[in-house]
Amino acid sequence: MPKEIYLVKVGMTMTEGMVSEWYIPDGEQVRKGEMLYALETEKINMDIDAEASGTVKHLVEIGVNLEPGTVVGFVFEEGEDIPSNLSVAPASTAPATIEAEVGPSETVEPQKSQMRKPDDGRIKSSPAARRLAKELGLDYLSVTGTGPGGRIVEADVQAAKDDVPQPVAPQPIRAAAKASPLAKRLAREKGVDINQVIGSGPGGRIVQADIDAAAQKGAAPQTVVPQATDAAPGSIKITGMRKTIARRMFSSLQNSAQLTMDMEADMDDGVKLRESLIEEWKDEGIRPTYTDLVIRAVAKALVRHPLMNSQFGETEITLLPDVHMGIAVALPEGLVVPVVRHADRLSLKEIAVESSRLALAAREGTLGLDDYAEGSFTITALGMYGVDSFTPIINEPQAGILGINRIFDGVNWRGDTPVKCKKMNLSLTWDHRVIDGAPAAEFLVEVRELLANPYRLLV
Amino acid sequence: MADQEFEIVIIGGGPGGYTAAIRAAQLGFSVGLVERAELGGVCLNWGCIPTKSLLHAADLYREIGAAAEFGIEVSSPKINLAKMIERSRQVASQLSKGVQHLMRKNAITVIKGEARFVDKNRVCVEREDTNDAYVVADNFIIATGASAKNLPHIQVDHERIWDARSAMTPSFIPQRLLIIGAGAIGVEFASFYATLGANVTLVEMLPQILPAEDAEIAALARQAFKQQGIEVLTETAIDALRMGKENLVATINGAEKEFNAAILSVGVAGNISSLMLDDIGVETDNGFIVVDPFLQTNIRGIYAIGDVAGVPCLAHKASHEAVIAVEAIAGKRPDELNRLHVPGCTYSHPQVASIGLTEEAASALGSIRVGRFPLIANGKAIAINDADGMVKTIFDHSTGELLGAHLIGSGVTEMIQGFAIAMGLETTEAELIETIFPHPTLSEAIHESVLDAFDRAINF
Repeated sequence: MPKEIYLVKVGMTMTEGMVSEWYIPDGEQVRKGEMLYALETEKINMDIDAEASGTVKHLVEIGVNLEPGTVVGFVFEEGEDIPSNLSVAPASTAPATIEAEVGPSETVEPQKSQMRKPDDGRIKSSPAARRLAKELGLDYLSVTGTGPGGRIVEADVQAAKDDVPQPVAPQPIRAAAKASPLAKRLAREKGVDINQVIGSGPGGRIVQADIDAAAQKGAAPQTVVPQATDAAPGSIKITGMRKTIARRMFSSLQNSAQLTMDMEADMDDGVKLRESLIEEWKDEGIRPTYTDLVIRAVAKALVRHPLMNSQFGETEITLLPDVHMGIAVALPEGLVVPVVRHADRLSLKEIAVESSRLALAAREGTLGLDDYAEGSFTITALGMYGVDSFTPIINEPQAGILGINRIFDGVNWRGDTPVKCKKMNLSLTWDHRVIDGAPAAEFLVEVRELLANPYRLLV
Repeated sequence: MADQEFEIVIIGGGPGGYTAAIRAAQLGFSVGLVERAELGGVCLNWGCIPTKSLLHAADLYREIGAAAEFGIEVSSPKINLAKMIERSRQVASQLSKGVQHLMRKNAITVIKGEARFVDKNRVCVEREDTNDAYVVADNFIIATGASAKNLPHIQVDHERIWDARSAMTPSFIPQRLLIIGAGAIGVEFASFYATLGANVTLVEMLPQILPAEDAEIAALARQAFKQQGIEVLTETAIDALRMGKENLVATINGAEKEFNAAILSVGVAGNISSLMLDDIGVETDNGFIVVDPFLQTNIRGIYAIGDVAGVPCLAHKASHEAVIAVEAIAGKRPDELNRLHVPGCTYSHPQVASIGLTEEAASALGSIRVGRFPLIANGKAIAINDADGMVKTIFDHSTGELLGAHLIGSGVTEMIQGFAIAMGLETTEAELIETIFPHPTLSEAIHESVLDAFDRAINF
């Protein structure tokens, strides 16, 4: 009996997916456990392993959107007759979904699949590409990938075979911008936010000329234009992550009554607390961020304001039992929102550890399915780019999202005397269908007070 | 004979041309290289390299003369001029063969002969003893270098009036030597011949010797040469130079003076005359080819690099431009050459090396800080008995940007590259101050000079 190859269902919300690459060509041999195809869904890309050894026959082309559970091919054991026409499923009928096969579990655990591990940084490559590269004596990291998300596929290595390997085009990385000492100093003197500058030096290094240019533009942030290839400017194919973001953001604005308010929080003590905690936890390698303080504050506030931690339904508002905090993480190709689970039950230190794990995993592309699941509220930070206020869009079906802005030198009045103090704007977007302005403001006040009196975050 | 076709053809096999050929081969182009004489060009065969052998011989001779200072007694050393020259020729020949090997290794077709353009995609190579060859290519890189200029009233005759090539293969050491032009080449020959015992008169039209260098450094060099017995005349022209009864007779400031030989080193002009550039419309200016920042001429697909593309006429500038031009052809978007980051070296005694802006040029642009550290305060320089010299550094007063470095003294031609790296990385004084310099080295003078610019020098 040939074994069916299913389009694996990952996550309860998966409605469609595609085979984005067959690692084993039609008619070739596969061994059990070897990577068989690449699954691409709206949320995730993953490699699916073969469950049996034998000859692989494809039923679907790559790039066709299908329902999860669809039979996409077969593995024929040695000696089995391979029918010439495979459009009709032989013998067994494929189950409608995989859930049927695995019983009550709603989601197929990805044990049979393998999350992509970055080989080096975020360069993804197929095993076949790596093998071919090894055979050809090519450094596969130097090959430019044309697969999904820039993944290096076998064809790329073939193409590179007769070519001299080219280093992957340097991309400016905002978070860890390399800059010359002179550029850093000039940026400080001219008040240019160096994180907003795109470097033109070797390897994307920010050099003097870049700062001068930025200063001339009045430090107007330059936009990173996603670079497809040098040869084909003008259009970028909307795939996986971009498509999901586009659909979800648009849907959120269409389907809820969201609005945003800003409130200023005193951060003098928060800044001091963070600095002392950085020092205290240094030996353990834990470095709390402002976002971590806010996660802790919001988690505490959500427990007292359950409507903010709810979902609006057709007939009722469901108050969610758990506080699972989504954290927006920017990636070169878009953004993902991994979740700090049970954030209300975690200490600040535990939050710092978990959020840094999630951020790293997000950047390396190694987030697991659990890391995405069941967020009940979201926090999104743009403060590192000098943003003072914005209107975050709710991550459906949640009821609220809090935007974290830049920390700046503000003023408090002690009598008639202005006193300099650290401030931060909190930008709260909430769903007016769920909560009215006054209770939303009460929630935000609570967050503000927690941040202004951060000892309360430690208890 | 059928045309030979290549993707890139390079005309001239000097440090610019052969580097371009190798880089082009690395990028997968089919490459032809046309050379009329020896691979390696003037630099390797008749310039930088053989003169370094000669100048080292002079250094050695001088040091042997001073050996008694170190407790080594030597009976008076004797100069074997023929042997000295033979060694310099052997070094040049060894390196030229090395370039031949590199051409073979990179599968570059070398065509011997003199190139002239037929049209913008075709070059005729006139060869000795055989038919002309025609070479067709999508891209040409002109790297023909430059040749010494004559003066209207003074022409090189190779007998008594020498160009650099004759001066590095002399049949005798002139007792009295006139050197016309005190740029790097004139100064190096002045140093060489003075060390070997010649009475040298060094004449320069401009107010300072080494006119490209910082005025303070040039003045220190002049002082050192004067102490070595070199007569230095600036703002002076040679009114006439004729062959007398036995010797050359020069008219200087109205007075006649006899010399056994003269060296003419009054600058260079691009080697463009035989290329027939006018026929294809390549723009030239004052003997040099006009190029854009990526070394392309006004004719698409025709590039020019190195001396023929303009000053500074330095081998390392040529080889750097070679890579830029080839990568531009390959569509790789190279960075432009930053002329302020091209270091210059003169291998006289004392040596002179510099990079970036002179004090005069920098102060014209804005407020600066200048640091100076004399080698007399450097332990290593004293230990090796070579403590005449100075490291001078120039910083932007407000940003701390390193704008220039000017060095004179022992070993400075090897030290300048530290500043080249620092400037390339856009270093400010802060990083240089934080850098740990090994002790005892001459390079500690770099550190002290930077410290001095910020009033923090320790050892002076």
